[in-house]
Amino acid sequence: MLIKIAWRNIWRNKTRSLVVIGSIIVGVWALLAGTGFMNGFMVSYSADMIEHDISNLQVHHPDFKTDFDIKYYLPDAIEKAEELRVWPGVSGVTTRMISNGMVSSPQKAGAVQIRGIDPENEAIVTGIDSMLIEGTYFEDVKRNPVIIGSKMAENLKVKLRSKIVLTFTDGNGDVTAGAFRIVGIIKSSSISINELYAFVKQEDITRLFGINGEAHELAILTEKQFDEDLILNKYQAEYPNDKIESWREIAPELEFMQEMYANMLYILMAIIMIALIFGIVNTMLMAVLERSKELGILMAIGLNKMRVYFMIVIETIFLALIGAPIGLAIGALNISLYMEKGVDLSNYSEGLEAFGYSSILYPYLEASVYPIVTIAVFITAIIAALYPAYKAIKLKPVEAIHSI
Amino acid sequence: MEVIKAKDLVKTYSDNGIDVHAVQHIDLSINEGEFTAIVGPSGCGKTTLLNILGGIDEPSSGSVVIGGTEITELKDNELIDFRLNNIGYVFQAYNLIPVLTAFENTEFIMLMQKWPKEKREKRANELLEKVGLSDKVHKRPGKLSGGQQQRVAVARALASKPKFVLADEPTANLDSSATKQLLDIMYQLNQEEKITFVFATHDQRVMDRAKRIIKLDDGKIIEDIKVD
Repeated sequence: MLIKIAWRNIWRNKTRSLVVIGSIIVGVWALLAGTGFMNGFMVSYSADMIEHDISNLQVHHPDFKTDFDIKYYLPDAIEKAEELRVWPGVSGVTTRMISNGMVSSPQKAGAVQIRGIDPENEAIVTGIDSMLIEGTYFEDVKRNPVIIGSKMAENLKVKLRSKIVLTFTDGNGDVTAGAFRIVGIIKSSSISINELYAFVKQEDITRLFGINGEAHELAILTEKQFDEDLILNKYQAEYPNDKIESWREIAPELEFMQEMYANMLYILMAIIMIALIFGIVNTMLMAVLERSKELGILMAIGLNKMRVYFMIVIETIFLALIGAPIGLAIGALNISLYMEKGVDLSNYSEGLEAFGYSSILYPYLEASVYPIVTIAVFITAIIAALYPAYKAIKLKPVEAIHSI
Repeated sequence: MEVIKAKDLVKTYSDNGIDVHAVQHIDLSINEGEFTAIVGPSGCGKTTLLNILGGIDEPSSGSVVIGGTEITELKDNELIDFRLNNIGYVFQAYNLIPVLTAFENTEFIMLMQKWPKEKREKRANELLEKVGLSDKVHKRPGKLSGGQQQRVAVARALASKPKFVLADEPTANLDSSATKQLLDIMYQLNQEEKITFVFATHDQRVMDRAKRIIKLDDGKIIEDIKVD
């Protein structure tokens, strides 16, 4: 009977109840959509970084990354790459010669990381050819072609076919330089690719480095869902003198960001739930004060305080029971719709890309978020009911009965 | 047999800093089967006395014993349970639960007392028939007239088989015909089922039917008359 009374009570003032239900719907939807979008940012950022820049695994000489000295190359890198390509779970392996140096154009100069790549395998591992916005992928120019990022081109005030000079230290420790002609300009959500890297053919740079047939880096792209640690452990066991790292070690900020974004769910949830608590408390308090005479009567005729308390809590839970599933359904529908086709944020693409984000966002939510949000809404409803229910049981029947 | 025994009841409260002596040293006994009216002018303390006798209000001093239990000594929740099981109330403004039907309002008390469903339904139907509302059982209070609502309130008050029924100005909002109908029902229940009724009223029509009239003035009993 108390449940029946509680259910009917919430429809006594339809507008007020619908406002609360509406705020629960909007709150739950906002929570799911907000979390979905944040996750989407994070997932697409991580995926972009892994698939277009750092790859799942990288192998170096143990001392190479200390100061990127080109003498610390990886022995038998080409053969190792060949071997790795047939390992289970490996979808691509490429080799790179790497040196930090200077890039200069007739107008400007700046820092650069020269990446001597194997164009065919680099395209498989990072899809660099798909990032071209101008020019070709190492075609047209036979001698010393270079591909640079759009931001670097802008900084150097150069365009397609312009000549740039790359200066670096060779294998003998001497400063050397080479002139390269820009055959392609690429654009990516990765800041490094856009601003820092200059991609040249491995054969051109090894000639200038004075090192032949070796590489500084092996980049390994694994199949999606494949546990990259299996490959990491296998490689480490087979080549204990090389240093193999997963993307978590190469870019620890990615994992940190993922954890931070996961915590954002709880922060966002706390903010929305606190706002909901105030809304529900306000409504239920009004309902209690409005019905104080009736509650007084109920207590006078024998409804004990526990039951009065329970009745108010149930009323609040009913509001959540109506609002939460609708909010969850709208949120889930929203996420699933945009998870497929993505949200086009190209109007803000410059700003987003400045931070390394893609302009098409694919919201994403783990299935585990839904039960967490559902539980959170019910806890919120119960917390919000406590004060109004307390006010209800504090009513004195004799005063409540004679109230207006 | 004594149903209610009040001893040296005093109720003083403060209204804007002024002490109001609503009930002053009242000693009173109500016996089983009485049909008693507590009467007097507005503000004489009728409702306050009735609320104290029914355990809804606390006296400043004195005691009320109902069926051997000193209710003035009970804690809040014990008192609520005591009221549930021993006292029926009929209020001036009907005060039914607006979201429940006449049947559900009548059944409510029995449900709180954990009566089995069949027994509950049987008694609720019987009571509503007794008060002449067997055709309105599924109507909510908003769809009933004042007189009909008050008859539902009587049915609700009797549902738990209380030791007595306290009625505070039950006819105040009713027209003559509804008043007559209500009083007939209560009188009949009193005569046939020996249910004790105590009214607080200044309605002459109620006084005319009462078998005992306790007159109050200034919070004191000034006259206690038995009518034959």
